[in-house]
Amino acid sequence: MAKPKIGIYGLTGCAGDQLNILNCEDELLKIFDIFEIKSFVMASSATDEESSLDVAFVEGSVSTEKDLEDLKEIRKKAKILVAIGHCAVYGGVQAMFMDREWEKMYRKVYGKKNAVTLTKPLPPKPIASYVKVDAVLPGCPIEKEPFLKLAGLLAKGVIPRHPDFPVCAECKWKENECLLLKGEICLGPLTNSGCGAICPSLNVSCIGCWGPIEKENWEAEAFLLKERGFSTEDIVKRFSIFGGQERAEKLKKYLESKEG
Amino acid sequence: MRLFKIKKQNLIPFLRGLEGFGELWGPVKKGNNFVYVRAKPEDFDLTALRTIIPAKKFFLPSKFTSLKFRDNRWEDNYRPRKRVIFGLHPCEIHALNIYHKFYTRLYPDPYYLRSKAATLVVGLSCIPDEHCFCYATGTSTVNEGFDLFLTDLGDRFLVWVGSPRGEDSLKLVEKFLEEATQEDISRYVSWRKKRDASFKLKVDLDGMPEIVSFSYDSPIWEKMGNACLSCGTCTMVCPTCTCFDLEDEYDLKRDEMKRDRFWYSCVFREYSMVAGGHNFREARSERLKLWYTHKLVGFMSEYGSPACTGCGRCEVSCPVGINVISVVRALRNERSTALWVKMEVENA
Repeated sequence: MAKPKIGIYGLTGCAGDQLNILNCEDELLKIFDIFEIKSFVMASSATDEESSLDVAFVEGSVSTEKDLEDLKEIRKKAKILVAIGHCAVYGGVQAMFMDREWEKMYRKVYGKKNAVTLTKPLPPKPIASYVKVDAVLPGCPIEKEPFLKLAGLLAKGVIPRHPDFPVCAECKWKENECLLLKGEICLGPLTNSGCGAICPSLNVSCIGCWGPIEKENWEAEAFLLKERGFSTEDIVKRFSIFGGQERAEKLKKYLESKEG
Repeated sequence: MRLFKIKKQNLIPFLRGLEGFGELWGPVKKGNNFVYVRAKPEDFDLTALRTIIPAKKFFLPSKFTSLKFRDNRWEDNYRPRKRVIFGLHPCEIHALNIYHKFYTRLYPDPYYLRSKAATLVVGLSCIPDEHCFCYATGTSTVNEGFDLFLTDLGDRFLVWVGSPRGEDSLKLVEKFLEEATQEDISRYVSWRKKRDASFKLKVDLDGMPEIVSFSYDSPIWEKMGNACLSCGTCTMVCPTCTCFDLEDEYDLKRDEMKRDRFWYSCVFREYSMVAGGHNFREARSERLKLWYTHKLVGFMSEYGSPACTGCGRCEVSCPVGINVISVVRALRNERSTALWVKMEVENA
């Protein structure tokens, strides 16, 4: 069987996901042995962008027109497209501000409308807003173990499915005291697992960097936090870091309606 | 059942002696809670009532590799270490008996059986706090499921022997054993009276299977479902919850496939999802109804007792107060101060 051809790409983001792939030091030679790497600019400037790909890994959000063009090119040549990292899967911290808010922020940072001339900026969005995504690996950044698991399954021709259950499960497996019960704003119940509950295991409450689980019950958690005496502002702030503006706006409206 | 006693000051050397069987594990303080860890006997906290995670973790770990396969051959490397687990209260041992029934009757689970063979259970008596209700579940005393059981009578411990293996283990600690006398038994009887009178939490479980069955269409489930975070904590901390999931992965470094087995929860959305994407219990209320029906009705008809031993873990663990006590009270139309009862969350 021919080696699967892969490419690893980055759009707008901190490049932390690509870096964590490079950080798989013990497994790196094996990865290079199993896959034929056509493009991985962070590892090597020798790339072959003409080749078709079996799998393309894309990190980062679409935040510029250049990102969008690149993404469309990648999609065209890849059989399987995998979004890696929170930015690619959910839009990242930058997606906290959308459309109207985003224009305001843009002007605040760059002064005037046409300050950036290299490429046209766009409101940051996850890659699935523009192209079909076949598999996802969330995380900010992605973790080594889940990445190796994903890469292993892809090497065997399986399209991996990220499980959908909350951080609380992994947190309980580690026998941690519940930070939500201890009176902190912990987003564990709403956040997808895979991180191994690293933060709560170090007594730091979850900020939701693996993105929300499907059908999350944010209304109940917001109600609970309100009941515990947290202000609407504090709750909205915590929820919006990785939850995007849309959810934050709904949340704000909901909490204000509870204030009566 | 054979009965001995040991002097209180001999407890630590007694436990040290039992270490001849295997690693010594027991309850140790973690923050405001307790966890079972491997430790020296002098570090065990005899006041511990309920650990965050129950003793089921000794019999099937929260996550382990159940088998590895390569070139059409598979091997299973699950070899639990020999362990003495100390400080298990009657509710915990009753839960292990439920675990035992579940994992041995229909399809004996090889991993469970290996753990069982490697574990010496040393029970310990307790005085209930405001969350204990083993009195109501009929699990406040225990006659089987342990190897040794210690009752704390102040200056001495009574040592009940519950199994041939327990009997054998006594050879390791022979020098501390004394014959129990009539006076010890009278002291035990008065200790029992005092203990039985000290339950603070009153809950009525009479007729629960029928009440739950007749409440199938009650709007209470939806209210509960609206408040439930689906965090799965109730099932992870419940000593009788047995559900697990399996996941295959390819270890590219070793070029072999492995199958991991880990604790799962019926309150998770994907639990009742089948191939093709259909979900039999899409609504949170349906999933909670399943949990409570299983605990209080289904298990009863299958095994003759409810799958709740009154340990109080769900009570102290659910962030919105959904637990056996508050649910039973709600279904009985009794007053409840649980958070979910007063939560006005409409989302379904």
